[in-house]
Amino acid sequence: METIFVLLPLALLIAAIAVGFFIWAARTGQFDDLETPPVRMLFDDVEPGAVRPPAPSAVPTGVHE
Amino acid sequence: MKRAAELHQPATAAAACAHCGLDVPPNLVREGDSEQFCCNGCRQVYSLVREWGFDQYYQLIDQQHATIAPARVTGRHFDDFDDEALQAEATDRVGADRRRTRLYLEGVHCAACVWLVEKLPAVLPGVDEVRLNYGSAVADVTWQPGQTTLSAIARALDGLGYTPHVHRASRAQETRRVEDRAMLARFGVAAAGAMNLMFVSGALYAGEYSGMATTYATFFRWLSLVIAVPVLVFSARPFFQTAIAGLRARVVHIDLPIAVAITIAAAASAWNTVWGSGPIWFDSLAMLIAALLGARQLQRSAQRLALERADSLRGVAFLEFARRLDHARPLAPAIEVPLSVLVPGDRVEVRSGEFVPVDGVIVSGRSSLDNAVLTGESTPVSVAEGDAVNAGATNLGARLIVRVDTAGAATRVGALLALVQEAASRRPALLQTTDLMARRFVQILLAVAAATLVIAWSQRGPEVALTRVVALLVVSCPCALGLAVPLALSVGLMRAARAGIFVKNPDALERLRTVDTVLLDKTGTLTEGHATISRWHGDTLILELARALEAESSHAVARAFTTNAPRPLHLVRSVAGVVEVPGRGIAGQLDGHDVRAGNREFIEAAGAPIPTPWRDVAAAMIGDGLSPVFVSVDGAVSGIAGIGDVLRRDSVATVAALRRRGLRVRILSGDHPAIVARVAAQLGLPPDAALGGLTPEAKRDLVAELVSRAGRRGAVMMVGDGVNDAAALALADVGIAVDGGMGATIVAADIVLTREGVAPLLDVLDGARRLRAVIRRNIAFSLFYNAAASSLALAGLVGPLLAAVLMPVSSLTVVLSSALARTFVASQPGAGRARRPARKAA
Repeated sequence: METIFVLLPLALLIAAIAVGFFIWAARTGQFDDLETPPVRMLFDDVEPGAVRPPAPSAVPTGVHE
Repeated sequence: MKRAAELHQPATAAAACAHCGLDVPPNLVREGDSEQFCCNGCRQVYSLVREWGFDQYYQLIDQQHATIAPARVTGRHFDDFDDEALQAEATDRVGADRRRTRLYLEGVHCAACVWLVEKLPAVLPGVDEVRLNYGSAVADVTWQPGQTTLSAIARALDGLGYTPHVHRASRAQETRRVEDRAMLARFGVAAAGAMNLMFVSGALYAGEYSGMATTYATFFRWLSLVIAVPVLVFSARPFFQTAIAGLRARVVHIDLPIAVAITIAAAASAWNTVWGSGPIWFDSLAMLIAALLGARQLQRSAQRLALERADSLRGVAFLEFARRLDHARPLAPAIEVPLSVLVPGDRVEVRSGEFVPVDGVIVSGRSSLDNAVLTGESTPVSVAEGDAVNAGATNLGARLIVRVDTAGAATRVGALLALVQEAASRRPALLQTTDLMARRFVQILLAVAAATLVIAWSQRGPEVALTRVVALLVVSCPCALGLAVPLALSVGLMRAARAGIFVKNPDALERLRTVDTVLLDKTGTLTEGHATISRWHGDTLILELARALEAESSHAVARAFTTNAPRPLHLVRSVAGVVEVPGRGIAGQLDGHDVRAGNREFIEAAGAPIPTPWRDVAAAMIGDGLSPVFVSVDGAVSGIAGIGDVLRRDSVATVAALRRRGLRVRILSGDHPAIVARVAAQLGLPPDAALGGLTPEAKRDLVAELVSRAGRRGAVMMVGDGVNDAAALALADVGIAVDGGMGATIVAADIVLTREGVAPLLDVLDGARRLRAVIRRNIAFSLFYNAAASSLALAGLVGPLLAAVLMPVSSLTVVLSSALARTFVASQPGAGRARRPARKAA
């Protein structure tokens, strides 16, 4: 039973490290946007398609009416 | 749109726009083309998307079952985006040769937009990465100045149908973001602490019944203390801060008993841990802190959407750029420059449909200007060379060249916006929505605790007294009470957002209770805000002819014929020999017929006098405040259009419903008093309820006077849409911006509606009433629980285990009561699909 004197603090230490990572993630703004990532991951299922390099004319240069 | 389409359904099946899927007007159908488009914007976006190989965008839209609006391509050159000073406000340097710029994108409407915008690096060399925040529509663009320019990136985004704006983050926004992150970290620590403490406490409780060696019990108690320290020191700090701030301001805040309970219970538990006897409350404390922080976190996130939207619009200036003409080379195309670089004497070009960016004088061109946003006048004003113009007016007609007198903050609209900021900052910011009942409870609780301490101390000694008081404070510690308001609010705010009601300031919901005066803006709020054909006398076919003819003109009257028009029939094959007489009318040969549209003199000049029955119709229209436009075909009068700014469909019913609730309704308008009086009559309001001819400053002063005079009896609600209403909105007890409102009103308002019309006002009132009922129910329940638990604690019957069980049970009831409440609902069927908040930022 004496083993819990070692194991529990050790478990707590690991938990503390996890909490530390969470604080770091929150502080660096990784939870700021909770709306886009769940949407963004959907796109990876679809083959991104052959994105052709643009023809030089494709970049709009501002259409003056 | 749809209704009109059914009325005028041509024989052939309508084609769907290849970009947005709307029906294509028959006169825009290009025979033989495989793809058809409803407008030029859609055509441009579609061809660019195809050219860049992003066809998958349309598959994604289908997958998401998203509906998209017709695209808008401004065709701007965005030269002003390359101005270093302009960029600096929204740009960070990344490494040595990269920059990251925040751009707010108009027109982000579905998840597929995220995909499309983030694909930009594949086609634009020099763009490293684009990350779009779908909720706030702000894109972080990382790019290399050596390889590309911000204006080229902006043109690409514009070409895809997303009008970019440099996103200037306000300081308040930055502060809130840092706060949000800190709050999340605190909640995480509290939640982790609470869960670990539960395991440890579970062992202790089990040990109490089965008999645990003292060594282990002591070890577990010390372990609890260690886990609890970060929760108490780091997570619970906001409670102490608000409690102390409340004491300084001499307000008993709901956080005060929480802070007191936390302090006493923590101190007692620590004492008992050190001396090895007596109960410890660490698990209950951590649970309490985690639950309260969690509820507040929910409330913050529910509020965030409304605030972020308002902030995005705050970042987008009302007027952003001017097209400056070169003095030396008058024929060179205009260059877009930021307003800050303009100096008096510069010449700027104002194209049709654009805002006038500066205060100045017209040096060339004639046109009509719409001042509705600025002054509330519904009738466009004709202007010509030598006339003064104000920034913020919309150019309805032809291109104008304006000599700059002032630009930026010194203009009239700049001064108005400064008024809005000032009024908004003067409003006291409440720390949290508090309720009188909660405050009373806090006072009573503290009094009872003090009395218990004194009585128990004198009768049973200090140890019993302290145990009882700690038990009292912990059990009756207003966890359920602390949850009652934020939980009900967060659920209510989310339901409101789903019903198209974005509540920026939850305190306004409380103030709605006492509203007894409703002030409504006229132009754009009660009415559509722009001239349309509100009555037509004559054959429908003749109206179509008139439409085809007026389509050739850019005059303000012609716009009335073409805006909001059901799509034209494919009747007219040729329009030739169009002659326009400014201020009188327009004539032309349509399929060989001589068609004229204009005022009486214009029609009579070409043929016989107008017959009396037609004149009577015209007189009746004038009597109703409409301007008649006669239409003649081959010399004979065949129709009369009544042009005017018509009431929104739901205005009459809504005003009647507001009055049935006993509210005093008044109209505040900058428009001509006679027009305002007529609108009031149509709405069934007494003449003294219609106040016309008010400047924005007069509106503001009137609201300020009403607010101070109303005093305790009743609050004032102001509803508006234009810059001229913004200062009044900010000063009113409750300011509401209707759908389509300008950025400034969205900044100033407490509540922003994103459903068309004024009917949602009733939903706001009803929803707020139901929400208050839910809050009252929650508070009543938690008070009942508290009273019961306190009695038990006073009798000395509550130990740590019972406290740990009672608390979550009571909290759960509050959670259920909040979650199941139907507060805000969209009243009209079919109007339930609320759009995201208005993106109209220009």
